[in-house]
Amino acid sequence: MDSAVGDSHPPARWTRALLVLATLVLLAATLEIVLDAAVGHSALLPDQPRIYGWLGGIGERLGYRVFLIALIAFTGAYALTIGLARGVSKRWAIVLVAALQLIVFVGPVLISTDVFSYIAYARMGVEHGINPYTNGPIAIVGDPIYKYVGHDWLRVATAYGPLYTLLSYPLGAIGVTGALWGMKAEALLASAGTLALTWRCARIRGFDPVLALLVVGANPLWVIYGLGGAHNDLIMTLFMMGAVALSLAGRDAPAAASVIAGTLVKATVAALLPFLILAHRKLAPILGALAALAFAAVVGYAVFGIHGIDLLAALNRDAAFVSTDSFPNELAHLVGKPGVFPVDHDLLKAGLVLIVLYLLWRTWRGYDWVAASGWTLLAISVTSTWLLPWYTLWSLPLAVVVRDRRLLAATLAIQALYIVHQVAPILVPVG
Amino acid sequence: MSDVASKIDGAGEIDGGRWKFLPEWLRPRDSELAGTGRRRLVEVTLLILAGLLLAVATVNDLIEQTHVNHRINADLLTWREYTGHDYKNVSTEQDLYGHTTRDVVCGNTTPGPPKERVQLCLLMTGPIVDGRRAVHGGWYLRPKVEDVPIYRYACFGTATPTRFCGKAAAASAAAADAAERGESAPAERGEGAPAEAGR
Repeated sequence: MDSAVGDSHPPARWTRALLVLATLVLLAATLEIVLDAAVGHSALLPDQPRIYGWLGGIGERLGYRVFLIALIAFTGAYALTIGLARGVSKRWAIVLVAALQLIVFVGPVLISTDVFSYIAYARMGVEHGINPYTNGPIAIVGDPIYKYVGHDWLRVATAYGPLYTLLSYPLGAIGVTGALWGMKAEALLASAGTLALTWRCARIRGFDPVLALLVVGANPLWVIYGLGGAHNDLIMTLFMMGAVALSLAGRDAPAAASVIAGTLVKATVAALLPFLILAHRKLAPILGALAALAFAAVVGYAVFGIHGIDLLAALNRDAAFVSTDSFPNELAHLVGKPGVFPVDHDLLKAGLVLIVLYLLWRTWRGYDWVAASGWTLLAISVTSTWLLPWYTLWSLPLAVVVRDRRLLAATLAIQALYIVHQVAPILVPVG
Repeated sequence: MSDVASKIDGAGEIDGGRWKFLPEWLRPRDSELAGTGRRRLVEVTLLILAGLLLAVATVNDLIEQTHVNHRINADLLTWREYTGHDYKNVSTEQDLYGHTTRDVVCGNTTPGPPKERVQLCLLMTGPIVDGRRAVHGGWYLRPKVEDVPIYRYACFGTATPTRFCGKAAAASAAAADAAERGESAPAERGEGAPAEAGR
């Protein structure tokens, strides 16, 4: 147990005991979810190839109640761990986070069908010669991946950037099972890379890297939803934290290019660019961004045509969707409306613009551009009518490397509200 | 005097004095002034108010969901008692948009996989009494079809054929859908199983 003890702050015996308890709960909750999910036949699992068959037979079918209880236990243990993070050693933190991520990696895809859309788009381009920016997976009805794509997305062309699509193309040629493992490995590596960069940025800025690692790497939504669903948001955060690390090293042009690279995975991260430019007020980040953009436009246009570089169209399309967990939808219910109306979308956009303008002004007057970027990403997820749990992860790595701790508190509060919103099946089970 | 002030607050020499033409309050800065804390107070107050609003909305939605779950349980129990079949796979569809208490509960009339047999759908409305709800009408459905008017037959009770069953009902439902789209009704996705949601 000595390995859990930080050198500079030897914890009291009860602190040590609580840390061990929290660690055991984190591991047990993750194992419970993964092993139960490996039994299959759960509404929490998308239909998928049985790549996890070797884990079957240990758990029981994953139901809502067990999943939610495990998620709440995970969240409680997470809160305890970050509350006691000063007493955690580097080695303990790294081993814990690695164990959580590896457990999820070897299990089935959790909660979301998105990864099968990623594979379908890759197979459309590689196996069928069909442009995924102009066609939905419905164009490859006979392909073995088709039956795994979420029903809502069968007719929807890809909303992801051309860099991500090109990155996924090699996986489109190795069969569905190989591609699925490839996507899971990609998400795991992106998560590990993001955590390493978060560690580095925290240390450069004089923050406790162990706390930063635990806040992001042991976060329940990061582990269960982000990594569990093998979401490409983790690749986006990798480029995002790459931009922050490069900027902290004084390399503004590559930092801006990294933001553009992230944008070409998922467009949301473009929100960092104006803050980066305003904070530095130099030509270098502008030139870096323009060079990366020009290169991407040429490659994107050459491979995918005009639709491959029209990221705004995809953003506008997805912005019109409404998910039951979005805060605008909850607010609409609070005021007695059945849901979000088009006029609400306009109001939300106007509110977001005001927030961004205020943050730009603050950045111009010396506020930390990284914090301003984090607030913007958080504001985007809160005002979005299409909120999914992994969207609340965007601001998290930024929040642990800034002095303004309100950002971290707000990000964790939003995540907590998301989890609270899920617990109805525990209070009144349906059966 | 102004030069002295500029050097004190560190703003005048920013970017080699490139921004000197701007009034002080418009010039960029490398770091923020300490200030009196009033702005921070305003920001924190706004954040707390926004957080409280979101928390109230979340809890309100959670309570609504528990009420819905309670109603679904009553619907399932009612369907099983009404039909005398203790089947597990019985589907419920609630009037989420209209915010009425009208639910449609469908299940097979003979044992078999979901929707693989003739289905009986019951129309339930009103409050929950002793864990059950009142059945006001219903219809039958052919096997392997969705519950849409064109596939319904043998409507009974308040489920009048012109409103709920057959081609006439299908035509009026299509007209109502078109009118609803014209009125920009709320679009909602992701209501199904969580595994379906994404992006």
